[in-house]
Parts: sequence; structure tokens; C-alpha cells
Amino acid sequence: MPQIRLENLVKKYGAVEVLHGIDLEMANNEFTVLVGPSGCGKSTTLRMIAGLESVSSGEIYIDDRPISHLEPKERGLAMVFQDYALYPHMDVAQNISFALRLQKRPKAEIAAKVREVAEIVGLTDFLQRKPAALSGGQRQRVAMARALAKDSGIFLFDEPLSNLDAKLRGQMRAELALMRQKLAKNMIYVTHDQIEAMTLADRIVVMHGGDIQQQGAPEELFKKPANKFVAGFLGSPPMNFMDAELQQENDRLYAKGHGFAFALPEQKAKTLGKTEGKVTVGIRPSDLNYDDTAPEGAGLNLNVRVAEYVGAQSVLMCACETSDVTVELKSETPIALGKTLRFAVRPEGIHVFDRTSEVAL
Amino acid sequence: MQQERLNPAFYALLATLIFMSVGPIALMLINSFKLDVDIISGTSGLLFLPTIRNYETALCDILWYTPEHMDYCALKFGGAMINSLIIALISTALTLVIGCMAAYALVRFRFMGRDSASLTTLMVRMVPPAVLLVPVFGLWNNDFCISKQSWLGEIIRESFGGRGDVCLAGTHSGIILIYVAMNLPFVIWILQSFIVQVPRSLEEAAKVDGAGPFQVFFKIVLPLIKPGLAAAAIFTFRIAWNEYLLASALSDRDTKTVPILIVNNMSEFNVEWGVIMATGMLLAIPPIIFTLLASRQIIAGMTAGAVKG
Repeated sequence: MPQIRLENLVKKYGAVEVLHGIDLEMANNEFTVLVGPSGCGKSTTLRMIAGLESVSSGEIYIDDRPISHLEPKERGLAMVFQDYALYPHMDVAQNISFALRLQKRPKAEIAAKVREVAEIVGLTDFLQRKPAALSGGQRQRVAMARALAKDSGIFLFDEPLSNLDAKLRGQMRAELALMRQKLAKNMIYVTHDQIEAMTLADRIVVMHGGDIQQQGAPEELFKKPANKFVAGFLGSPPMNFMDAELQQENDRLYAKGHGFAFALPEQKAKTLGKTEGKVTVGIRPSDLNYDDTAPEGAGLNLNVRVAEYVGAQSVLMCACETSDVTVELKSETPIALGKTLRFAVRPEGIHVFDRTSEVAL
Repeated sequence: MQQERLNPAFYALLATLIFMSVGPIALMLINSFKLDVDIISGTSGLLFLPTIRNYETALCDILWYTPEHMDYCALKFGGAMINSLIIALISTALTLVIGCMAAYALVRFRFMGRDSASLTTLMVRMVPPAVLLVPVFGLWNNDFCISKQSWLGEIIRESFGGRGDVCLAGTHSGIILIYVAMNLPFVIWILQSFIVQVPRSLEEAAKVDGAGPFQVFFKIVLPLIKPGLAAAAIFTFRIAWNEYLLASALSDRDTKTVPILIVNNMSEFNVEWGVIMATGMLLAIPPIIFTLLASRQIIAGMTAGAVKG
């Protein structure tokens, strides 16, 4: 499959620079997810790859061939749009075969391809319908089928699931993951939903403010976020951040803040390379466990303010003196609002960030 | 069950309105089948023997036989009808083709002076046609001419006859040109509002699917603005069909349109009511057919289902 490489890609609208030099290389048959908050430049990047936005500077390569000067139709990509973008005056079969008909392929070949693709997405019974007579999920499938019919090696998705309701989104996400296993294609997927990113991606590229913050496998990003932004963006509920100061005591390095003090694991203390200074400590809600007996230096006291019951799990909004802390724990844990409980911190779950540069230490 | 009864006054109003709108047409239709004697004779004319003599008189120049009641065909109604059709159809077609492309450019392309261009198109429409008449008449007669000595002029004079230089005045092209110019601003204005409604992502999807700019326009945009095109076509056709002022000044004996012929018919001879009614009925038929055909294209919700929202 053709390989995509972005080299120092810059996008400017007038004097405003929205992408500040993106470098990215996608491996063969990789599912790359560009994820980030609104306005981070992820959609712009995708649209530049598709040829729908011009490139201000830098270059896009497909198989080492620069393509940024080419028209969209010369790039041979397939794309699924956020709002489906189905041709309303054509029926489903015509929608799917539009690209093939433009290429003037033989009629029999087109018909066969339409049947094959419709089979994959489960639209065989709807080929004669107009888009207006389809449900949201079916329209989404038509959009997928239209992209599939092109036989392109590169698939672009621009937030394809964001218009579906929550249940359908989950279902389509699963189908997409299934389809992904069957198809050997390079896929680039843009989303602002970190759950989609985590579940679908081989490689996640977290973008923020027109820069790539970090890229890598979902697990790697989740476990070793490069900075505070990535740490806070991935994971739900988001990571807790607390201001702390590093202090050396009795051969151990402590992170001390208002109402808590954790001993950092020795491995971590070594790699930190410093023994003093102002930092931000990050702990994921799932790394806090309800434990009355947690010793000093390995736990903290939290005042439970709000409990959100979400089935097997409950999310507690707590206060640790001045800072807010979210905890995720099993619902059967006996908790009471307004009470102060003791939680143990999983030592591996302590992340330390520089307070000014926000880079992970 | 509660049955809601409408006020009888409502029905009375409805009947009055129907009478007011249908009455004149019915009167014209009935009178077109009467002899002049019956038309003028008041109440006694209510009972009459229908005759197609008026229609025969009106269409005498394109009938294959000479009607018994007349010995000379003075009225060139058939020819005028053909002139009207040529002028109205061609000017409508030209207006739509140019109009949809101009509207697309004004909506989708970014170029300097786009907004002012879009606004000034409508400002042209604010000038009354009568104001245009004098300069256009002058230009068409004196400036937009090909000398009869020139190569092309010679060919035209040889094949079509006539004297003097070959000018726009008195030709179909001259009238078509002014009609196109007159109708374009409004058509562009209408079509702009339709094109704006075509989701941009549809065009982008088509581009990614491998369509060039013209394919995007003809295969995606044009089918979706069909209702707008139909509305614009009806509008343009009716104006071109009914226009009197400019056509009367710019046409000659051979390029006369129907409205002019009818008016001339009233003044040149004694008023032949029967024939006027017959020509009036005939005049009404083409726009009715055209409107019926075109209005079939006006389907609500053309873009339904294209995008979420």
C-alpha cells in the first residue's frame, strides 16, 4: 500500500499560522488516528493530504512522490466525510459507483464492485434508495461504501462517527474495527473523541495548537505521556493534576503538596535527575484505590463531594484541600458523601511534569 | 367528533376570487369562437354558433389551405408565433447557461471584487427597460453593424437578401441579446441562493472521487439546483414572451413577436375582436405548456439526505 509522509507541513490562513510544521510518517497498513481538541489542526492536516486545502509550505509524499501540487483527483485517495456528503440526487448504487463511473470502467465491473462493497457494509437491500430515505447509520455506511469502492490504498476519515448518536457510534466503531482487520489499507482517521482514538488506532497522533504533541501506540501514550496535555487528553475520566514540590527525605524523593505527600518509586526518582523544584503531579483516577490502611507517603485523604454512579464503576469528585481530585472505583465500595476517606496511590501511576514547560519528567 | 364549519362568507370570497381570475379567460375563450357580430351584439350573443373562423384568420399564413371567408392573408400571426418562440426559447436557454455559471463563480470562487460584482448584477436590474431603449436602438442600428462590403456582410446579404449594412436591429439576435442582458441579473441572483445551499462537502467529495471542476459543476451542482433553474426558466421565458417595448423598437417586419402583432392588429384595421381573442388564446398556450413542463422540476428538498443537519 502507498505510504504517506508529511514533511514540515505548514498551513497559513493569511497571517495566521494554524499548522506549525508537521512531520509524520505512517507505516504500511497502519491505522493512524489524529486526535486533538477542536481547532488543533487535525482536520486541516487531513484535508491537506486529500488536496482540499492548499499547502502553505512543506511537502506531502506518497511513496516518496511529492503530491502537494496535485489536484484531489490525481492523488487517488478515498475519503469519508464528517457529514457523509452523499449525492442526494443519486441512489445508493449510483453514490457508490460515482468514482468508478467517472473513470469510465466497464458497466459489468462497476455492477460487480457495487454488489461486493454493498455486501461488506450491509447495504445490499438498499441499493435503489435515495440517501433521504436512509437512516443516519445507513448513510454513514453508504459513505464508507463509496470510499471502499474506489480501491484506493489510502483511506481518509474526517470524524466519520461524530454525527451519530452515542449507541450507533459505539456500534459503528466496532464495525470499523472489524472492517479494519479485513482490509489491508493505510488509514488516517481524524477525531476529537479520545475513546475512538484509543480503540481504533495502531498509532495515535495527539495534536494541539497546530503541533504534534506526541505520537505512538495507544498504550505507550497512555502510560508514558510526553507532556501534561497528552496526559490530560487521553483517558477518561481525565488525569488529576496537583501542584507539588520535590523534596529529599530519608533517602527517598517525595512529592509534597497541600494535604498530600507521595514517595516516588526509586526508579522514577533516578530518572527524574533532580531532587528539588516545583512540579505538577498527575495521577489517573483509576490509579487511586480505596484503602484505609495506606501508610504515610503512599496515600492521601480525600473528601468525597459528588458521586457519579455509572454502573459497575463510580466516579467520585473529591477535594484534597485546595485541589480537585477525581477517583474511579468499583461501585460496591462503601462510600458516603461528605466523608473523608483514605486512598492509596499506585506508585507506577504517579506522573511528574515540569510546572512551567509542562513536559513529563 | 366536532365538525368544524367554515364561514359561508369564506366560500363567497373564494367564489368571487375564482370568478375574477377565470372569468376574463373564459370570456376570451368564448368570444374567440364567435363572429364579430355576435360579440358586439350584447345579450343576444349569448346564444351563438361556434366557429373556428377567427382561428383560421389568425393562422392563415401557416394553414395549408386558404379559408373560405377570406381572399387575402394580411395577418402574419403564425410567423410572429415562430419568432416569439425562437426569441423566447433561445434567450431563456442562453440566460440559464450563462446565469448558472456566473452564479456558481460568484458563490464559490474567491476573487477580487466578488461581493461588489454580486451586488451590481442586481443594480442593472433597477434600470427600467425604457431607459435602455434609446441607446440600445441607436447602437443596434448604427454601431453594431457589419459593413455590406465586408466578406461576412456580403455572404449574409447574398443569402438572406435585404439592403444596407447588416445590423443587429431587426434581427432575432438583436432582440435575444437584449433579453439575455435584461434577465441575467435576476437569474444570477436567484441561482446564487440555490447554489449556496449545495453543501460544500458534496463538491469536495466529488473532487476526491475523481471529478474535475466541470464534472463537479455538471454532475453535482447542476442537478441539485434544478428547482432554481426551473424557476428561473419560467421567469425568463415569461418575460421574453410578453415583452413589448423593446421588441417593438428592435424588430422589423420579419422578426415581429406576437405581442406586437396583436397591438398592430388593433390599430391597423378596424378592431376585429374575434381575431384578437383568438390570437390572445393562442398567445397564452406556449407559456402555459412551458410553465407546466418546467414546474415539474420544482421538487422540494432536493438536497435532503446529503449531509447531516
